[in-house]
Amino acid sequence: MGITELLWRFPSAQMAWRNLGRNRIRTALASLGIVIGVISIASLGITGVAIQQQATSDLGSLTNEVTITSGEDSSTAGVTADQVDEVRNVASNVDVVPQYSDATTISSRNGQEENVSVIGLTQANVLYDVSAGESPERLQSGVLLTDSTANQLGIEIGDPIEYNGQMYRVRGLIESDQGFGGGGRGQLVVPESALSDRDNYDSVTIVTEDGDAATEIAAILRDHFNEETHNGEVDEELSITDYSDVQENINSFMNTLRLALLGIGSISLVVASVAILNVMLMSTIERRGEIGVLRAVGIRRGEVLRMILTEAAFLGAIGGLAGVLISLVIGLALFRVLAGDAMVVFEWESARYLVYGFLFAIGASVVSGLYPAWKAANDRPVEALRG
Amino acid sequence: MSVIALTDVVKRYQTGHETVEALKDVDFRAERGEMVTIIGPSGSGKSTLLNMIGLLDTPTEGQIRLDGRDVTDFTEDELTEERRSEIGFVFQDFHLLPMLTATENVELPTMWDTSVDRHDRAVDLLHRVGLGDRLDHRPDQLSGGQRQRVAIARALINEPDILLADEPTGNLDQDTGRTILEELTRLKEDENIAIVSVTHDEQMIGYADRVVRLIDGEIQ
Ligand SMILES: Nc1ncnc2c1ncn2[C@@H]1O[C@H](COP(=O)(O)OP(=O)(O)OP(=O)(O)O)[C@@H](O)[C@H]1O
Ligand SMILES: [Mg+2]
Repeated sequence: MGITELLWRFPSAQMAWRNLGRNRIRTALASLGIVIGVISIASLGITGVAIQQQATSDLGSLTNEVTITSGEDSSTAGVTADQVDEVRNVASNVDVVPQYSDATTISSRNGQEENVSVIGLTQANVLYDVSAGESPERLQSGVLLTDSTANQLGIEIGDPIEYNGQMYRVRGLIESDQGFGGGGRGQLVVPESALSDRDNYDSVTIVTEDGDAATEIAAILRDHFNEETHNGEVDEELSITDYSDVQENINSFMNTLRLALLGIGSISLVVASVAILNVMLMSTIERRGEIGVLRAVGIRRGEVLRMILTEAAFLGAIGGLAGVLISLVIGLALFRVLAGDAMVVFEWESARYLVYGFLFAIGASVVSGLYPAWKAANDRPVEALRG
Repeated sequence: MSVIALTDVVKRYQTGHETVEALKDVDFRAERGEMVTIIGPSGSGKSTLLNMIGLLDTPTEGQIRLDGRDVTDFTEDELTEERRSEIGFVFQDFHLLPMLTATENVELPTMWDTSVDRHDRAVDLLHRVGLGDRLDHRPDQLSGGQRQRVAIARALINEPDILLADEPTGNLDQDTGRTILEELTRLKEDENIAIVSVTHDEQMIGYADRVVRLIDGEIQ
């Protein structure tokens, strides 16, 4: 069944469809405005979601971590073994990973060199996921190296690496892009024994269930270690950092960004509605005599009104559909680049902007059509026929 | 009983400070099966009178009865219903919708009545006005005379009591005009309707059962 046959059962739709078909270029131009409006709303909304998802995934593992370093008022450099025990006591049921940090240069057989951060710790599996080899629960011998650094230097699992005058075998390659840690530099993870000449740990990382748990534990630890002195100042024995603030800041920034993007989108839709208003007004004025004939032969005012509103709705639907399709393509590309998975665009979080865009398009068009439709329907047929 | 009766109808137009009296105390009636032709000089009020008869306009004074019912004080929506069911219009410049086929143009007045299917009647009417082979043609694929026949078929689709025609032959040549007039005469008898037409066309007077002469808004 053709579209015209289906429309035949809905006279207003039938007439509206035919009327739009009369001046295809004008129809196309009028809906072009809507297309642009929908693309603005939908793709800006989707962009917001994509950027937020990327920011959140970049922050990734960090949000559920608490980092402890030596405090401003600490009498010792670094975190002592006693302090680590105390932390373990206070924060039970979570992974507490004390670590040493250092830096070194590792070189490949052909003499190429890379600077890397060195982390000395035992519970490697808590902090590091590997793309090859293993991330041992207790790192007693051997090392882990960031896979991108290993690639650059041509180092493979089982190859030897020299650090501090000792040779270690590479046991695992750490997945790159794990959080912002390392500042882009590669990381070399060594057993604690490799840095056993140090007195104290440089930092302690606590890994919790989620961001809320991290915030909670951070607060408990601050309470415990950083007592308020009698003169109202805080005696900071340990510096305790969690990332919930960062996450919150990012969220509120993203909400602002999203509102701004939607604002821009809405403005373009307003402009599009004005274009529709203009086109509908022109075309009803042009067809004044024709509408007069309709009224003369007994077509009711409400029927003329519906016909013209349907025309406006069709303009919106045509433009909206085109806009949604184009936005979908933009969204697929965006998520491919930012999130690595194009299909995320179909999740409601981002797909809803396509729906909003489409509904806005039809809504704006119908609203724009109201005045022309009302004007045409209430034009007295004698006057309309006189021209 | 007259299908349409105007009694003491006055129509005044207010333009700025001036008042134009387009119709002065006009009495007019028409019967079924009758073709009445209104003639008169330009500006004498012919179109104004036809618009009153067709319930497109309301009189300033006087009374209009349709089939004996007083419709003088009907609202615009009530008048629309009367036009929908009782009246057919034929215009000088046809006024067909360009995007619709001949059949669709004929069906147009009943298009929003989804309860009745007038398709068969539309096709039948087109056959009767000699356009059986032009059913799916669009207006721009038809000659002037053919367009006017489509318009006549459209005016009859709702089985009206009255058919009104304002200079139906005005845009046609003599021969085509004559065939249109013959068509109207035949339909008048077949359908038993009143036809009221306005014309400048001398030959049209020959087809009229009755001629009404209007001068300066007054029937002579
Ligand atoms: N809407 C209007 N406003 C003001 N004056 C009007 C209006 N309609 C008609 N008139 C006046 O009423 C008079 C009669 O007009 P009408 O159109 O009925 O004449 P007509 O006999 O049909 O003329 P023609 O043969 O040229 O068509 C004219 O003087 C015209 O100027
Ligand atoms: Mg006239």
